[in-house]
Amino acid sequence: MIPDLTRKLDRVFNPKVIAVVGDKKANGYSWLKSLIHFTGKLYSVQIDENEIPGIVELGVTNVKSLMDIPEPVDFVVCAVPRKVLPRVLEDCIRKEVGGVTAFTSGFAETDEEGKRLQQQIAERATAAGLPLIGPNCMGIFRPKLGIRHGVDQYYGETGPVGVVAQSGGQATFITTGARANGLRASKSVSFGNAAVLEAADFLEYLGQDEETKAIAMYIEGVRDGRRFFRTLRQVAPRKPVIIWRGGQTEDGARAARSHTGSLASSMAIWDAVARQCGAIRADTLDDVLDYLKAMVFIKPSTGDRVGLISMSGGQAVVTADAFARAGLRVPALTERSYTELAGFFNVIGGSYRNPLDVSWNFDSTDLAQRLLTILQNDENIDAVSMELGVGAMQRRWRRDPAFAEGLLDYLVRYKEESPKPFFITLFPGKWEAEALEIREKLQERGLATYPSFQRSANAYRRLVDYHRAHAREA
Amino acid sequence: MSQTSVLDAARSEKRTLLTEVESKALLREAGVPVVDTRLARTREEAAALAKQTGYPVALKIVSPDIAHKSDVGGVKLNLRTEKQVAKAFDDIMKAVQSRQPNARVQGVAVQTMARPGVEVIVGLSKDAQFGPVVMFGLGGIFVEVLKDVSFRIVPLLRRDAREMVREIKGFPVLQGVRGQEAVDIAALEDILLKVSELAERHPEVRELDLNPVIAYKDGAVAVDARVVLEGETPS
Repeated sequence: MIPDLTRKLDRVFNPKVIAVVGDKKANGYSWLKSLIHFTGKLYSVQIDENEIPGIVELGVTNVKSLMDIPEPVDFVVCAVPRKVLPRVLEDCIRKEVGGVTAFTSGFAETDEEGKRLQQQIAERATAAGLPLIGPNCMGIFRPKLGIRHGVDQYYGETGPVGVVAQSGGQATFITTGARANGLRASKSVSFGNAAVLEAADFLEYLGQDEETKAIAMYIEGVRDGRRFFRTLRQVAPRKPVIIWRGGQTEDGARAARSHTGSLASSMAIWDAVARQCGAIRADTLDDVLDYLKAMVFIKPSTGDRVGLISMSGGQAVVTADAFARAGLRVPALTERSYTELAGFFNVIGGSYRNPLDVSWNFDSTDLAQRLLTILQNDENIDAVSMELGVGAMQRRWRRDPAFAEGLLDYLVRYKEESPKPFFITLFPGKWEAEALEIREKLQERGLATYPSFQRSANAYRRLVDYHRAHAREA
Repeated sequence: MSQTSVLDAARSEKRTLLTEVESKALLREAGVPVVDTRLARTREEAAALAKQTGYPVALKIVSPDIAHKSDVGGVKLNLRTEKQVAKAFDDIMKAVQSRQPNARVQGVAVQTMARPGVEVIVGLSKDAQFGPVVMFGLGGIFVEVLKDVSFRIVPLLRRDAREMVREIKGFPVLQGVRGQEAVDIAALEDILLKVSELAERHPEVRELDLNPVIAYKDGAVAVDARVVLEGETPS
């Protein structure tokens, strides 16, 4: 354990000065390029004369040693070979840097010598109280300050999502995938072999971080399961924690051992951990992103009775199936609602039990508005979900853009004003580009959409489970 | 025997397997209801204890070297007379002597046959990452074939116990099917909580099996118990 870790991680995640040690041409100067938009001062440390011109060309100041940097260094990225790493760490300790990411691989995930070296650097960093992230990892992503671990990541924005991932690849996929779904990251970290800092440390940190409203984790194994369990039990009631566990199968577990040197507990045990703590278990990247969207965009609820609006009879059947399969209820509406519906719902081929099948007869936003208002006021319904047909929508767009925009405006307003959870299924079919356009318009204004009924239903199920878990008595 | 004396005795003899009599003493003191089980060293003692507890009784071999008693012919059930008890004692001794001649035999445990009810199992094991884990399931094929069990990490809260009982697919069996009465689910939850407390208090317990626990409409009782200790006391 590193003493005073919260304050130290605050410094690491909010640096004024960053140094990259050992970036080189063979690596495409990837670290320096990823950090080129950093809002503070960036240094490179490189002794190889052949590498220096390329670094200078990027506009980055190069020095021969960490000790030559004329100001305090808050965060260091180490991309040196494994036998050099201990020496660089000694410089970091002498320089009293805020924290270090060790990108270097070849430790516990490879051989006995690697295990021994990892043990050695872990002991040294721990003794010095140095927050060491890794080795064998990509470190931190702090888009607000332009700190990235890959050039595909974004910068200059921030949001509510915190990410804790053992794998740098998964940290990248989760953060960029979430961004594509309208969710920006506050802080993200990949921590590889977890020689010093591990999942529980970052979970605890993001748990108390005010910028972070929901946490997504990708974990292959935890070192101190007891501590992870205790930490998760404390953090999950405060903010949703989604756990995607890598190495669920025997084949996956074998891959995890050679990836991050992690030992796997059985899935049944991880299930128990998630249930006990009221965390949300995910099995795929899609799950992670779907559940994140639900937890951030959809209003909290413990109610499992869903009112559904579909665009055709067949869709009405399968949407009801999807929600029921997720263990949600699709109940009949109140008599009052049916009386009201009978007054205007004269769609040929349409029907209005639940789901309400409108057979795409939205002549004006008026019909949508009336249906959604009835569901909002219906006492048998806790949440409202609606299908938006992309084909019909894009045809209307061409014919009558004002109508299409007006409908989307209304849906966003309804989401904001209705006390009930509201989310949309937007099945792209052959209109991928059009669906994306509609999705982006909605998600930028905080309205969640899903590409299938089942994914809508599964995500809402997790939301209900999460809020129920934290409403239960001890 | 108190908890500490049971554990001390095992430790001083460098044993990791507790006998059934010791296991039950440990559990009883932890607040887990167990079927009263007493040690008989001779056939005469066995007969006397059987009379005291009341027929029908079960006899089981007591040895720190035998974990699976029925595999070595060490269990006789439903004994209704003094004569049957005496014969069962001799049969058990003979069977164990021939199948596991090197086992240290302390005697035979005499216990009254529990009346029939719904059989469940409660277990405790250690996960390499998460430490002690409590398991619950219905007995027999439910656990062996269908793997219909639930787990929780120690320490359990009351709600964890409540949820793990309800989580198994066979839960309706406990609620009563085919005209059977519902069993005392709160009593099962209590056992799970007591096992969790025991695991917290005694980290040297590596494994614990209550198989079966018989659940009734009023209460539940562990009929058999097996406790395994860590080789070296964990810090």
